[in-house]
Amino acid sequence: MKQFLTILGFELKSYFKNKIFVGVTAFLVVLLGGVMFFPSLMELMGEDTEENSADHAVMLVEASAVSETAAEMLEQYFSSVFSGYQIEMIDGSEDEIREQVISGEADCAFVLNSLTDYTYYVDDLSMYDTNTDVADEILKQVYQAEVFMESGMDQAETEALMSVSVTSQVNTLGKDQNNTFFYTYIMTIALYMVILLYGQMVSTAVATEKSSRAMELLITSAKPTSMMFGKVIAASLAGLFQMTVVFGSAILFYFANRAYWKDNAIVTSIFDMPVQLLLYMLIFFVLGFLIYAFLYGAIGSTASKVEDINTSTLPLTILSLLAFMIAIFGVSGGETDSLLIKICSFIPFTSPMVMFARIAMSSVPVYEIVIAIAILIFFVWGIGRLSAKIYRVGVLLYGTPPKPGAIIRAVKNG
Amino acid sequence: MKLEINDITKTFGEKKVLKGITLCAESGTALGILGRNGAGKTTTLRILMNVFPADSGTICLEGEKIDYERIRIGYLPEERGLYPKKTIIEQLVYFARLKGMGRQEAVKAADQWLEHLEMGAFRNKRLDTLSKGNQQKIQLITAVIHDPQMIILDEPFSGLDPVNAALLKDVVREEVDRGKIVLFSSHQMGYIEEFCDRIAILNGGEMVLKGRVEEIKKMYPRDRLLIRSLQETDIAKAYPSACEHAQQGLIFHLEQPSCKREMMAQLTDEFDIDEISVLEPSLSDIFVEYTRDRI
Repeated sequence: MKQFLTILGFELKSYFKNKIFVGVTAFLVVLLGGVMFFPSLMELMGEDTEENSADHAVMLVEASAVSETAAEMLEQYFSSVFSGYQIEMIDGSEDEIREQVISGEADCAFVLNSLTDYTYYVDDLSMYDTNTDVADEILKQVYQAEVFMESGMDQAETEALMSVSVTSQVNTLGKDQNNTFFYTYIMTIALYMVILLYGQMVSTAVATEKSSRAMELLITSAKPTSMMFGKVIAASLAGLFQMTVVFGSAILFYFANRAYWKDNAIVTSIFDMPVQLLLYMLIFFVLGFLIYAFLYGAIGSTASKVEDINTSTLPLTILSLLAFMIAIFGVSGGETDSLLIKICSFIPFTSPMVMFARIAMSSVPVYEIVIAIAILIFFVWGIGRLSAKIYRVGVLLYGTPPKPGAIIRAVKNG
Repeated sequence: MKLEINDITKTFGEKKVLKGITLCAESGTALGILGRNGAGKTTTLRILMNVFPADSGTICLEGEKIDYERIRIGYLPEERGLYPKKTIIEQLVYFARLKGMGRQEAVKAADQWLEHLEMGAFRNKRLDTLSKGNQQKIQLITAVIHDPQMIILDEPFSGLDPVNAALLKDVVREEVDRGKIVLFSSHQMGYIEEFCDRIAILNGGEMVLKGRVEEIKKMYPRDRLLIRSLQETDIAKAYPSACEHAQQGLIFHLEQPSCKREMMAQLTDEFDIDEISVLEPSLSDIFVEYTRDRI
C-alpha cells in the first residue's frame, strides 16, 4: 500500500507539473469563459448585432400578378412570419428587382407569377435559407383562402377557417430526449476523449520508462501491481481533476451569465442536467477509464520504443471508437432501447459510454444499471490484475513488440 | 549474513535458461558472477531480486527462505537509466521511498550521498542536464541510498571514465567493509580480481566453476615462469622450445612443476635476470578456458 501511494503521488505530481496538462486545462477554462461571457461582453460594448442586421434586411415582394385581396393577405402574412425582414410590396420589372438584390439594396425578392408560381431572387443562397419553404406555406394558405372566398364564404369566415389551431399537451412519463440529447452527446464525447487521451498518456508513460531504462530499476524496486495501479489511478485522478475544473468552471460561468442564456434552449438543456446523472457520469467515467487505462498500460509495457505505441494500441483505440460510435448513434437516432444498445450496455468495454447514454436518454430499470456497474467493477479488478501480470512480463521484453500469443505464454510461465 | 542460492532452474518457453545454479555469498565479501552474454547472469540476478520466480530451487538467507519484505536489496542495472526530465533529488527520494524509506529519511540520505559523491550542487538540477559520468553517480546512489544489506552490481564499471571508476571502487570497498553482501557481474576481469573474494563462472545456464579466486588459481599446475631480463632474446635462443614472448615478459614453460627451483637457479646463473617468478593463470585465462565452448 505504501508503495502504491508513493507511486500514485509521484505520478500525480508529474501530471500537475506537466506544462501541456496545465496549459490545456487553462486553455479550456479560458475558452469556455470566453464563450459563456460573450453575450454580456457584447452588451458591455453596446452592440446588438441581431437588431442591426434586422434593420437592413429587406425582402421585396412583386405581387402584381395576383388579386388585390390576395396581395393584401400576402403582405400581412409575410410581415408577420418574416419578422427579421422589412417587407416591401413593389411593382416593377424582374430586371429592376434583380438589380436591387445584386446591389444589396434588398436581401431577397419574391416575384409572383400567380399564387402557385413564383421566382425567388437572392444574392448568395445560404445553406440555412428556408424562406422558400415558408413562402410556399403562406402562398398555399392565401390560395386556399381565395378559393374559399370565391366559393361564397366571406373573409371573416375564411380567416377563421384558415387560422384554426390545434391545442395539445405532451406529458413525458420517462425522459424527454429533446432535453437530454445535448448533454448526453457532450458527456459521451468527453468520456471518449478522456479515455483516449489519458489511455495514451498511461501507455506512453510506461513505454518511456521502459525506453529510458528507468524500468530496470523500477521493476526491482516496486511490485508490478503497485506500479500498474499507481500509474492508472493517478491518470484517472488527473483526468477527473481536469474534467471537474473544465466542467465546473463552465457551470460557474453559466450561472454567472444565466440571464443571457435563458432563451437558448440548447445551452439551458445542457446546464440543467440532473445531479443524479452527474453521479452516473462519475461512476462510468472512473470504471470506463480504469478498464481501458489498465489495458493501455499493459500494451505500453510491451513496446520497446515510444514510437511503437500508436501501432500497438490501435486495436484498443478501435474498440473505444466502436463503443463511442454505438453510444453516439444510439443517442442521435434516439434508439436507446434497441437490442444492440441494450446488449452493449452490459459489455464492459462498451457499457461505460452506452449505459450512460441509455440512462441519460431513456428510463433504465435500476437493476440493469446495478448489473452493468457490477460487471464493470468485476472486469476492472480482473483486467487490472491481468495488466499487472502483462506489465511484469512486458517490461522485460525488448526488441520487436511481442505477439499476443507470446505475451500469454510469458504470463502463464510467470 | 549468508546468502545461498540452491539449484535454481528457469525456462523461458522452450529454452532452459538456468540449469541448476548454486551460489553462496557472505556479508563483508564480494562475489563475482562471470559468464559470456546469454550465460544466465542477469536471469540469476533477477530471480534473486524477485523480478520473477525460479521454476525450481531455493534462495535462502541465514538458512531460511528469503523474505523480500525484510531484506533490502540495492541494484545497479547494466542498462542505466532514470527519469531524464525529473530533478535529481526528486528521483532519488522516489526510489528511496519505493524501497521503504520515509520522506524525511529519504531526503536526508539523498543529501548525504550527494555530498559524499561531490554532487550536492546538482541536487535540484534535472538529470538530463548532467554529464554521463555524473548521471552514473546518481544511478549508483539509487542502488545504495536505502542502506541495502545486499548490493547487486551488474557491469558496474562499463562506460565509466577512470576518475568515476575509482570513485565507484571506493564506494564498493566502503560497502563491503560495512558488512554488505556484494554481488558483481562483469566482463572486466581486472575489477573482479580486485574486489571479489569468490567467483562463479556460468556458461550456457550452468555453473562451470566456483570458489575462492586464490584457490582456483592454485588448482592450476605451477609450470610456468615469468622472466624479466635484458637478455630475454638470449634466453629464448638458448631454450627455444620452452620460451614464449608475452607482453608482461618472457614465459618459460617447465617440463615438470617440480623442477621449478632448479630451473630458476640455472637461469639466474646463466643470465642477468631482473625478476623471475612463478606465473599464475589470470582470471581472464581461466574465464576463457571455461567459457570458450558454449554449452
